[in-house]
Amino acid sequence: MTVAPASKKTQRFPLRKEQSPAAVQRSKRKRPETSNFAIRMGQLGLAVAVLGAWELLGRVGIIDPFFFPLPSDILMTVWVWISTGFVFPHLWITLQEAVLAFMTGAAAGLVLGFLLARVRILERLFDPFLQMFNALPRVVLAPIFLLWFGLGIWSKVAFGFTLVFFIVFFNTLEGVKSVDRVLVDNAKMLGASEKQLLRHVFIPSALTWIFSSLHISVGFAITGAVVGEYLGASAGVGYAIAQAQGVFDTEGVFAGMFILMVVVLIIDLGVNRVERHLLRWRPPQQSS
Amino acid sequence: MTQPSQPESSNYAVELNACTKEFATPGGGSYFAVRDIDLKVEPGRFVSIVGPTGSGKSTILNMAAGLLNPSSGTVHSFGEPVHGVNRRASYMFQQDALLPWKSVIDNVSLGLTMAGVSKADAYDESRRWLEKVGLKNFADRYPHQLSGGMRKRTAVAQAWIVNPDILLMDEPFSALDVQTRQIMENELLQLWQESNKAVVFITHDLDEAIALSDEVVILGAGPGSTVVGSYEIDIPRPRDLLDIRDDPKFVDLHREIWGRLKVEVSKTYESAREEESAA
Repeated sequence: MTVAPASKKTQRFPLRKEQSPAAVQRSKRKRPETSNFAIRMGQLGLAVAVLGAWELLGRVGIIDPFFFPLPSDILMTVWVWISTGFVFPHLWITLQEAVLAFMTGAAAGLVLGFLLARVRILERLFDPFLQMFNALPRVVLAPIFLLWFGLGIWSKVAFGFTLVFFIVFFNTLEGVKSVDRVLVDNAKMLGASEKQLLRHVFIPSALTWIFSSLHISVGFAITGAVVGEYLGASAGVGYAIAQAQGVFDTEGVFAGMFILMVVVLIIDLGVNRVERHLLRWRPPQQSS
Repeated sequence: MTQPSQPESSNYAVELNACTKEFATPGGGSYFAVRDIDLKVEPGRFVSIVGPTGSGKSTILNMAAGLLNPSSGTVHSFGEPVHGVNRRASYMFQQDALLPWKSVIDNVSLGLTMAGVSKADAYDESRRWLEKVGLKNFADRYPHQLSGGMRKRTAVAQAWIVNPDILLMDEPFSALDVQTRQIMENELLQLWQESNKAVVFITHDLDEAIALSDEVVILGAGPGSTVVGSYEIDIPRPRDLLDIRDDPKFVDLHREIWGRLKVEVSKTYESAREEESAA
């Protein structure tokens, strides 16, 4: 009842032109919201069904709770780890390692990616070596890093670095090289110096590629930290999982996995936010 | 100036002397895009280059812009040899060349801000230009939110705001529908008449070339094409582009120039067919 007169009023307004797009957007936004709600309920239902079935099958003894602990027991363990504060020092160590690995790996990948994309000779010089190192399964580096850098966080940082670096590097290289020739020529004709070309053309253009790699590399930074801890450490979530496994505490293993999953999800949401802000110039149907 | 044989060469806004451009092919060979191009454009003149597809029109423009170096021959602009980008020229590209991550006003002001003009001054000047091209209310949009015609208007403002002495235009309106295109041509002509800029305009559309230009240069069939003819267009200005196609002078000129261009177009067509049957 209150909606109809209001919309009539805006129609009579001289400022109608400026108001109507906002109104249109609002009404547009409403429709996906209702279908979104239905999807969310469906997702919730799916999760409840799977977890419920798991719980039920475990309780009646069809699946062995020793190998597949009941979801309720896992959640209890998670709760114990959190409420006693047991998990936080481990999580803190793991996050430290992941953040350091991510920052150093991404920075090195970006710088080298831009450099090699802009200086053809360097690319041709480095290419076979980069391909070789990239072909090396990175996990085999973990033992040697343990020897080099010890049981502390730096062996995990080095390991995560090798994972993050190559993803960011190759994406940056590809992103800078695939910049539309016409955009470069246009900026040049408008008087851009090499530095200005980088700032106004190459970096924004490569951002799309870099961001698509950020999602993966954030995950890899944490993978690097956890796998490193698993192979040898004195602290960290990977270490906690290894400890639980050592005493056949499958609930602890699953609890560690659950906590890592939630943490990575939260970080990914943050990356999404940043991405949406920095890539707001893109047509909406492409981003998502 | 010390050379008495070419005393007035420094007057030309664009001067190509015997320019040849050879490109390497992936197979290890090479082919000539253009051969022995002589082109002189006086300041303030509107010159169109027309030729069949593959006749190296864009190559000529890129050499004048300094984006390509000729394999042999020289390029001068106002008496200075062109090394690197020609600083006195702006370029309007056939494709969309606006930076998609910059808003309309940031795109338009780019040339000024990169030259060191303060952002406030650059924005003031950009607003003036946006008003001129009819995009006053679209300053904060991103290019993907504009229609093709609006993007071209933005590109016009972007190219003109730096106040170049030369405008190089590579089929700038070819992607537009016919009506929008005629409106844009009219607006371009008005802008140009108020200024004193030399324009080198590439097109494959002879109607467009005659309607806009002081001089129409015809390129021969490629590859290795060269200038085969040059025609003065003495239709009086100001011209009304919407009616000009009925002007008897226009009709005569069109018949004359098309007679020459037709020969080159059919050559191109025949060599394309020969290649097809040989392959």
